[in-house]
Amino acid sequence: MALNLRKLTAGVALGAALIVGAGAVTHAQDAKHSIVTVVKLSGIAWFNRMEEGVKEYAAETGHDATQVGPASADAALQVQMIEDLIAKKVDAITVVPNSPEALEPVLGKALDAGIKVVGHEASSLQNVTYDVEAFDNAAYGRHLMEALAQAMGGEGEYAVFVGHLTAKTHNEWVDAAIAYQKEKYPNMTLVTDKLESNEQQQTAYQKTKELLRTYPNLKGIQGSAGEDVVGAALAVEEAGLDGKVKIVGTSLVSVAGPYLETGAIDMISFWDPAKAGIAMNKVASMAIEGKEITDGMDLGVEGYNAIKLDGKVLYGQAWVDVTTDNMNDYDF
Amino acid sequence: MNALARIFASPQGIVFFVAVLFALVLGLINPAFFTPATLIDLARNGLVTGIFALGVMMVLASGGIDVSHTAIGAFAMYATMKIVLGIDLDLPIIAYFVIAAVIGAGLGLINGVLIGGLGLNTLIVTLGTLSFFRGALLTFLGTTYITSVPREVINFSRTILIRIENAVGQMVSLPASFLVLVAVTIVLAIIMNFTVFGRKVYAIGGSEEAAQRIGIRIKRVKVMIYVIAGAIAGLAGMTHVTLSRMANPFDLVGMELNVIAAVVLGGARITGGHGTVLGTLLGVFVITMINTTLLMAGVPSYWQKFVIGCLIIVGTGLPIVIDRLARHRQRMKRPLEAG
Repeated sequence: MALNLRKLTAGVALGAALIVGAGAVTHAQDAKHSIVTVVKLSGIAWFNRMEEGVKEYAAETGHDATQVGPASADAALQVQMIEDLIAKKVDAITVVPNSPEALEPVLGKALDAGIKVVGHEASSLQNVTYDVEAFDNAAYGRHLMEALAQAMGGEGEYAVFVGHLTAKTHNEWVDAAIAYQKEKYPNMTLVTDKLESNEQQQTAYQKTKELLRTYPNLKGIQGSAGEDVVGAALAVEEAGLDGKVKIVGTSLVSVAGPYLETGAIDMISFWDPAKAGIAMNKVASMAIEGKEITDGMDLGVEGYNAIKLDGKVLYGQAWVDVTTDNMNDYDF
Repeated sequence: MNALARIFASPQGIVFFVAVLFALVLGLINPAFFTPATLIDLARNGLVTGIFALGVMMVLASGGIDVSHTAIGAFAMYATMKIVLGIDLDLPIIAYFVIAAVIGAGLGLINGVLIGGLGLNTLIVTLGTLSFFRGALLTFLGTTYITSVPREVINFSRTILIRIENAVGQMVSLPASFLVLVAVTIVLAIIMNFTVFGRKVYAIGGSEEAAQRIGIRIKRVKVMIYVIAGAIAGLAGMTHVTLSRMANPFDLVGMELNVIAAVVLGGARITGGHGTVLGTLLGVFVITMINTTLLMAGVPSYWQKFVIGCLIIVGTGLPIVIDRLARHRQRMKRPLEAG
């Protein structure tokens, strides 16, 4: 009984819950889990959207799922928040780290305290129970290239942008895309190396201007950073080449909206942070309940219906494609 | 021979020479380079850098350095858009620029008070305010992109001064925002060359001690320098909005070293006392040319930064080395003539 009591106080700590709770302790699955999602930065559209997902999950399951995040995208502030959560003895922490390396020690501490840890956008994390990724980077790159190839009719010259030549994810997308093009669309040619936009719209604009001047037959551009497609679209529009140069890439409706509307950008893709939030919480719950996660499993979240498990990392196929037709469904 | 040597020794001369040489090499590699369209592209691409650079030149001439200008520009541009969208009033485009300049001047005043008033080191202060202004922008004003900018801004962005076809039949245009650069250039040229204030700036940059002894109120002049530089940065920020047709609070910051490199390449010295409007524009022209034509020359992306670095070192280092050699030669000559 003493043991049960301690468990109870740790879990719910409410006198009123004692009577109901007595039964719950014996069936761990039915207990209310406290899961906290720690995001990079609070208050920005992306993570507001994720919070919607977390709240939806809480409302649906009755678990105590909440989201917190620092006021600035600072790894040190995230470490403090996680320290606090360890002290509060939550059941699980899901985290979108600003810097995976910087969080390793504190996440290790959380695991030692018996807390389940689920990461997101951090497949390199070691101290996690699981890590949920919206998609496998290579698969996503191939997906974008397929879209570009369709738009270009499977032939012609194209160029690719990355935010920074040192950005790992962007390079993985683009490398896979190029490899896919070579294999499947031999009539398409990459005109030059990966171009660097510094994640600045004006840099993407200038480089696109230069591209068009140097390669007048250019028919397609694939962007990686959210600003790439916007800068490219502006340059194409100004050069009077609307519709002749197809533009596809990663961006958000809030960034690329005006150009999607005019059709200067053919398609943008991203992943829905709300869905990622739900998926992370589901995985955390399953870990708390001791359920095993297996390759090919259906998490019951759109885009995560047949996950690929690689070690501790789960990959979905959760990319969302947006064109002028469905752009009004997304407000971030 | 002597005249040629003199041209080489002057910073503008060497920059001009570098520019011509670079253009020749580019033209050989890709003949499409030698068209009026390229010139227009360069003018368009160097616009924001150019406006920033003029403000920074004045600061360098006074013996200071300002790395916070891009943060001032970003703050002014974003705050202006927030204010205008907040009051929901149809303002003429000129009002946007005035608001941005006033906000920029206000932020510049903070720099001025810290540097002129309290006598703190300019690099330390502006490094601090770079982070401070940017932090304030992202914390208090917001982090979301404003993509639905007012109609006046869009109309202004679509106003074109010159529109021509380039060698491959694409349209190349010079937007009306180029006039902002022209206006800032004229006003600053008058301030630096024909006003007492301008002379005071150079005097302080040459020797603060001497300037003080001849009765220049150094504190007051310094505050004014940073206020003007701030206003110019604000104008650059607003110009950036009209070019990109959106206000992204994460933009601009990060290009400050590029701007300073352009100014130094244009003959201003970090040690103060030197710097001209014409030289600065030439420096901006060269930096922009290097930054936006290496692709045309077929230089791979990974190499571009390397090449830019080399050109900056050569462009800024060579005049100093030549200058030193010339002085050395003079010194060697003197005893012979005396003897």
